[in-house]
Amino acid sequence: MTTTRLSILAGSWLALACAFAAPAFAQDDTLDRGIGSEWSSMDPHVNFDAAAGSILSDAYEGLVNYNGYDILPGAAESWEVSEDGLTYTFNLREGLVWSNGDPLVAQDYVDGLMRTLLPDTGSERGYYFTSVVQVVGAADIINGDATDASGLGMTAPDDRTVVIQLENPAPHVMNILGGAFSMPPLHSPSVDAGGAGVFVDPARVVTNGAYLIREIVPQSHVLLERNPLYWDAANVSIPFVKYHVTEDASTELLRYQAGELEVTYDIPLAQMESLQATVPDEVKITAGVDIVYYSFNLLREPFQDINLRRALTIAIDRETLEGRIVRSGATPNYSFSGGFDPNYNMPVFDEAAMTQEERNALAQELYAAAGYGPDNPLTINILPTVAEESVRRAQGIALMWKQVLGVDAVVEPQERKAWLDAFYAGTWDVFADNLVGDFPGPETFLPYMRPSAEAGYNWVSPEYEAAMDVASAQTDPQARLDALAVAEKILLDDYIVAPISIIPTRQMVSPRVGGWVESPVGYHNSQYLTLE
Amino acid sequence: MLRFLTKRAGDGILTLAALVTLTFFVMRLAPGGPFSSNRKISPDILANIEATYHLDEPLLQQFLRYVWGVVRFDFGPSIRFRDYSVADILISGLPYSLTIGFWAVMVATVTGVTLGILGALKRNSIIDYSAGVIAVIGIAVPIFVLAPLMQVYFALTLRWLPVGGWGDSWRNLVLPIVALSLPNIAYISRLTRAAMIETLRENYIRTAVAKGIGGRRVVWNHALTGAVLPVVAYLGPATAAIITGSIVIETIFALPGIGRHFVDAALNRDYPLVMGITILYGGFLIVFNILADILRGWLDPRVRNE
Repeated sequence: MTTTRLSILAGSWLALACAFAAPAFAQDDTLDRGIGSEWSSMDPHVNFDAAAGSILSDAYEGLVNYNGYDILPGAAESWEVSEDGLTYTFNLREGLVWSNGDPLVAQDYVDGLMRTLLPDTGSERGYYFTSVVQVVGAADIINGDATDASGLGMTAPDDRTVVIQLENPAPHVMNILGGAFSMPPLHSPSVDAGGAGVFVDPARVVTNGAYLIREIVPQSHVLLERNPLYWDAANVSIPFVKYHVTEDASTELLRYQAGELEVTYDIPLAQMESLQATVPDEVKITAGVDIVYYSFNLLREPFQDINLRRALTIAIDRETLEGRIVRSGATPNYSFSGGFDPNYNMPVFDEAAMTQEERNALAQELYAAAGYGPDNPLTINILPTVAEESVRRAQGIALMWKQVLGVDAVVEPQERKAWLDAFYAGTWDVFADNLVGDFPGPETFLPYMRPSAEAGYNWVSPEYEAAMDVASAQTDPQARLDALAVAEKILLDDYIVAPISIIPTRQMVSPRVGGWVESPVGYHNSQYLTLE
Repeated sequence: MLRFLTKRAGDGILTLAALVTLTFFVMRLAPGGPFSSNRKISPDILANIEATYHLDEPLLQQFLRYVWGVVRFDFGPSIRFRDYSVADILISGLPYSLTIGFWAVMVATVTGVTLGILGALKRNSIIDYSAGVIAVIGIAVPIFVLAPLMQVYFALTLRWLPVGGWGDSWRNLVLPIVALSLPNIAYISRLTRAAMIETLRENYIRTAVAKGIGGRRVVWNHALTGAVLPVVAYLGPATAAIITGSIVIETIFALPGIGRHFVDAALNRDYPLVMGITILYGGFLIVFNILADILRGWLDPRVRNE
């Protein structure tokens, strides 16, 4: 609080005097990475965004680690799952230590989860342990019914064993224990002494990952240095990693071209084609766990007719839309969840096998059956965000609906927060919706569509609820995926949303960087990379 | 003088109070909140977070809490940048904005006034025309076009300067300062030129020339004072605007100043941060306008006696 009391002006003039003597931290052995907007928090139990996620997954290690699609041992060298799929037992490595040399014990992981859940922390991450998976007792701590860990389904029977108990089987729990959104441990002595402020103070922060936090400059960068005490330090090749805030994608690309960055966060849409033509090996486009679909307002009379919803869904030529109009590297999607798991037998909507001409002809019939035609056209609005990509996509779809069906669709782009609010206000006919998943698999998306989980769609479907209940009771991964496919087909058959596409991650990666593997969730821990 | 200062300071505080009140309530009219998200967060979690930031209280109570904080120089926590208080963010961002802004004002004033005087003294000469062309370019071509062109030429083609970022050396400062001062050079040189031409026609200049005082002394000692008056008036608000950080410049050159925080804060509904930067900007504007008035009074007796 003392800094709050400081006279702002005096502080800044003083700093102005020092500004020209800014320390030089440029190293040739530094991997420079763009992260887009500034991290929202360096507190590993609070952060809820991807920018900080990349930095934090270098600095803190969960029980497991990810590289591409692979789930690798992290702090835990092995684990067992009980027969009923409810109990996970993790065996920690021997001799784990924090970056200050303190021993890292199982209880530190329990403390980390407790800190995440306690109301005082004000963390959104409790969502992973009550919504994505249900850890026994987690909800009670969030809503204040319990204040200690005695009822929590995460325990440390000894220093090297962590036990997690779930209320329902959830094989995907393995997907949230590591990586950018991991369940990081808590170094209680430093946080008890300095509060949450230690996480942005390189002198006091204690980490357990492959890298140490060396320097934090808001709106500029975070500098990391290899952690010599990390258990796998011998295999960490890059000595320094510097994450740069790169708000403007055009500047980011120029900095990349000038050699100031080796990895970018994004690629400006206008440059995609020329880059793909000139430096195809450096352009990395991966389908991300990020789906776009257009939701129909079921409270408005026209959309209560399934013929109309179906006509609008199939009158979109997704290949032309993404390949010729939007051109952002997105993949046309004919399912809802987009798959992502190679073992998932992904259902698609019935007309996916037809040619677009056949679909258009059918759409015209359905449109007429719903009572619309040239003399009586449907007039609707579409609400995308103001992002260039979403607006282009909405305009392309409006054009196709006009050409194929004669629909008069008005595109009304909204600033992002207003767009989020508009969803619940229901001030739309068609909502240009999207969901960002937490792990690669259908189960990151399908539970959202349960009428009981999300009232905003105004969808009534006991069949879908029942099918999802069947799926969530399965302990065998393949049986679970098969049950999820049954549920997804119910969703698709009702045409309450029109699947559109899968949004990619677009990055430039320098040829100097080795070990880069495709990752739909965008996990690219620096410890697995090399720099020439 | 003291009366003038007291009155202006009083006006300034009233203006700030009105600004705080208006901004506080108008900001809440914008749809969406700091925790609007398309991950469906459970109501319990949302309630905990809103309680942390007192967003669950009635609006009037939040306002009074905020005003009470401001009076004690406590601008509250940032919601978007969870690790920092608003004061932390302002203190960390200002030095960057101030450094760039200070040099941009210096470069713009010196270059602008010089070009303006030369143009006025050698009207219709090559210097006048080139100053005119620079001015037209500076005013007509927006920074967001000029700056990337400069980046491509000086950083990518010639490799003289870095594209963006802060820290390694003075070389990081060159492009942002030039880009930020260009439009101001343009305005200042036009203002100086017009004022200079007008001043040179004044009776007291004619008297001075008639008394046999040389051209250079007439310009330096007599005409210049009159010619820079409009520039001083312009510099008041312009300095405030430049110093508090040009959003465009900071974004294009990836500089960690205040301007970027302002945009981020507004888009993410970080109410305390928007308020803090608004107060800072308003305060600067008021202070620099008072300074400009004092300076004009010192330069021009007519202003002093008003």
